Amino acid sequence: MEFLSYFGGVFEPTAFLLLLGGTIGGLILGATPGLSPTMAVALLIPFTFHLSPTQGLILLGAAYTSTVAGGAVSAILLKIPGAPANIATALDGNAMAKNGEGARALHLSFLSSGIGGVIGVLLLIFLTPVLAKWALAFGPSHLFWMAILGVTVIGSLDSKSFVKGLLSGCIGLWLSMIGFDDNLGAQRFIFTDVLAGGINIIPALIGLFAIPQVLDMFSKGRDSSVIEAIEVPKQRFMDSLREISRSGRALSVGTFFGSIIGLIPGVGGQIAGLVAYDQAKKFSPDKDKFGTGHPEGLIAAESANNAMVGPSLVPLLTLSIPGSPTAAVLLGGLIIHGIFPGSDLFDNHPQVAWTFINSMLIGQILMVIFGIYTATWAARIARAPVPIMAAAVMVLALFGAYSVQSSMNGVYIMLAMGVGMFFLEKFGFSAAPLVLGLILGPIAESNFTTGSLIANAQNGPVEYFMTGTLNIFLITLVIASIAYSFWSNMVQGKAVKKAQGATS
Amino acid sequence: MKKLIKSLAIGVTAIALSATMSAGASFAADYPDRPIGVAVSYGAGGATDFQARIVTMVAGNEDILGQPIFILNKPGAGGRVGWNWFATEAEADGYTMSAYNIPHFIAQSIKGGVSYSADSFEPIANWGADPAVVVVGKDSQFNTIQEMVEHAKVNPGKVTLSGAGLFVGHHIAALQIEKATGAKFAYIPTKGGGAAAMKAVIAGDVLGGINNLSDAFRAQQAGNVKILGVADIERNKEFLPDVPTLKEAGYDVDNASVNFRGLMVKKGTPQEVIDKLAAKVPEMFAHDRVAKRMKAGGSPMKIMNRAEVQAMWAKRQETLKDLLAGL
Amino acid sequence: MTASRLQHTISSGAILFVAAIVTYISFTQEPADAFLFPRLIAIFFVSLAAWNFMRAVTGVAKVGVGLDMIELKNIVPGLVTMLVFIFFAAKMLGFYLASSIAFMLIFTLYDPAPLNDGKAWMKRLIVTVCFMAVMYCLFALLLKVQTPSGILF
Repeated sequence: MEFLSYFGGVFEPTAFLLLLGGTIGGLILGATPGLSPTMAVALLIPFTFHLSPTQGLILLGAAYTSTVAGGAVSAILLKIPGAPANIATALDGNAMAKNGEGARALHLSFLSSGIGGVIGVLLLIFLTPVLAKWALAFGPSHLFWMAILGVTVIGSLDSKSFVKGLLSGCIGLWLSMIGFDDNLGAQRFIFTDVLAGGINIIPALIGLFAIPQVLDMFSKGRDSSVIEAIEVPKQRFMDSLREISRSGRALSVGTFFGSIIGLIPGVGGQIAGLVAYDQAKKFSPDKDKFGTGHPEGLIAAESANNAMVGPSLVPLLTLSIPGSPTAAVLLGGLIIHGIFPGSDLFDNHPQVAWTFINSMLIGQILMVIFGIYTATWAARIARAPVPIMAAAVMVLALFGAYSVQSSMNGVYIMLAMGVGMFFLEKFGFSAAPLVLGLILGPIAESNFTTGSLIANAQNGPVEYFMTGTLNIFLITLVIASIAYSFWSNMVQGKAVKKAQGATS
Repeated sequence: MKKLIKSLAIGVTAIALSATMSAGASFAADYPDRPIGVAVSYGAGGATDFQARIVTMVAGNEDILGQPIFILNKPGAGGRVGWNWFATEAEADGYTMSAYNIPHFIAQSIKGGVSYSADSFEPIANWGADPAVVVVGKDSQFNTIQEMVEHAKVNPGKVTLSGAGLFVGHHIAALQIEKATGAKFAYIPTKGGGAAAMKAVIAGDVLGGINNLSDAFRAQQAGNVKILGVADIERNKEFLPDVPTLKEAGYDVDNASVNFRGLMVKKGTPQEVIDKLAAKVPEMFAHDRVAKRMKAGGSPMKIMNRAEVQAMWAKRQETLKDLLAGL
Repeated sequence: MTASRLQHTISSGAILFVAAIVTYISFTQEPADAFLFPRLIAIFFVSLAAWNFMRAVTGVAKVGVGLDMIELKNIVPGLVTMLVFIFFAAKMLGFYLASSIAFMLIFTLYDPAPLNDGKAWMKRLIVTVCFMAVMYCLFALLLKVQTPSGILF
């Protein structure tokens, strides 16, 4: 309960103002396409030069939590996921916004972010010593199996055809191999200089999600009948609150998977949302509604990606090992102030450590309040006339893709992938499994290579990859997941055939 | 009408001509008259990035450059993306500089597949030197570097050492140790830089590792690792006065793996601009506020002027060519 | 509406072609170590693509709406604007000028209001200026992103 005694620090006037500023600023930065939480936090570090360590950390902590939630805004309203964490949010969230339920989607997304986020931070407060051991337990072989486990959900993720889902995933895996291979120094599939640096995930995300959407808007032409704005029913806060209180299943699935996956260094944040979405779908009686604007998908994805925030800081705060790219940036921010995370932090600077953690807790609540307050207003963006929307998304995509690496290469990759995805989508392929392949490819490969090198120095790859409790547990999950996919695919196939037989 | 266009055209050409001429003459005197960019080949938040941000933070002072410096992150492929961009696309006008990491970019250019070499760039000044150190987990069986080397001699290829990647300082240090001791190690490059390599050491995935002095110092302070040796010519008095150099331990390892960081411009930049930067940038690095922040962050500084850096680059080129020839 | 069998055959054929090229490159390039993973993926890729192609040829493939000629015709002007904007104009004219022109052009091309309507032109201009002002504040002033400046700003 030590943390309670440091709440005072959060409510000092300057600290609270910074917290408020960090939250609101973080929401805006998070909602800007192309600005991942990692970049947003990095951009704020120079501001902390002028602050005391505690104040600086309050700003960074508030910004971290709210940028993750802010990414949902552009995912829902513009179908541009701000970061990999928000991909799953875009699937159902944007469909809801298109049905005129933008305000409802935003309300639910902020509420589930807040709930998931608070639980995540509470885990960080109470279970840090236990969780730290957990985080270290994952070596290269386990991370490899984790990535393979992720690959097994590809077929069932947001795709109506099993084969095409898997094929989309394969395309993603292949695209992830492009560029210099860091482990062995070889060049792979570099047809033009543009690809020499490989495919950065953020421009790819923008292209895959935003550009097909722009082209779809173009395809409607100058037809005034489709342009008429959908009436947006006013969303009352109490209704959203009631709805979220009834969505226990999606919330708990999201929070559970988000916090567990967030803990694993190097995998965490990027896939928490997608895995939770997939699991929520498997546990739900309304599997078919997912992807068509079903609130459960949105709630699972958003609670997962904010629940991930707290646990993802465990390895950083206890062992000084950044578990995610954002944690690495936070580490930089701490070091600049002469504070080294690790046991030293809690022993010698408890004021700094606990005020930081508390500010994330209060930040979550401020974020929900501010998010809900502006939701109705923000939801109007999704109702902008189609030609304005198309032009705006196009320009935002350019700026977003450029700002990641200050490079036109990212922009070209964004456009090429976007136009390709538009045609693929027309034939039943979808962007989500492709992105999952793109994210998991390097994780699987680099851990396989590292693991093999270590295994060769020990007793060979079979023992290294196949023995040990955690390896066997993960392999069992992989087999179970594959079996489930085949089983559900067969059941579905039979159901479809039956339905066809009945109609013909 | 035609006449009007003609006279207009002449007028425009004349203005343009005089503008370029006067610009040419006064270019160096006015330089810099707008903010200067520094391209960093690593992501935001990495050691190179945040050190670059600290050492350039006083550039805007009137007695330094009088114009602020902003950072452009161009991460990817171990730095190759950023330096390729700098060598091929950046303008040689002094308004775009780049941060260099030695030995990384020289080693990469020797291995090939990139569009730069040490001759593509002109060094300005060096701000930091982060030596590679040998670390083991806190419960490791090894307490000295000799114990580790002896173990490796008895069990060739069985001692795993993690490091931040191939052809970076850590890898160079591992190669030098192998060459000097005759023992065979298993160098494990990790994806995710020095932090991931350190995690592998702390978690016990590997028996030991090569890492940056600054990061290892922090991990040691936190009680997670033991530091066995420093791959430098002399001990680091500021942070690790008690840790011997590898040379003291009896192995012929010099400072070729030390990660030097500094600023450079593209070849072809006007000499006046280079001279001005070479005079002012070391002053900027030596500023009190910079030194204070760098010390607080546990980042060892080593300020070197242009001539010293040129000599250092040339020497590295030689050493690395020999070392990498067999690979 | 679903895509015709011919369209499915052509599209899955194209993917099979790409998969075959990827497989060929993976198995012919050296060093073999660096291509171990690509080879594994290529095998999955090419077999899935072949399966998908067979489904399309035999008419089993049903998913996907396919391409529609009217829609394609509608897309062309916008797509051309987008390609010219991103590949040439953005770098040559500078991000902000090029974006303003492209924004206005797309808006005009897909706005149902007639071209001779003065009020509609006013609206387009105002929306463009407002949007670009927001973009400028966000990216240039707040985030200090350095974009190519081209000839103007």
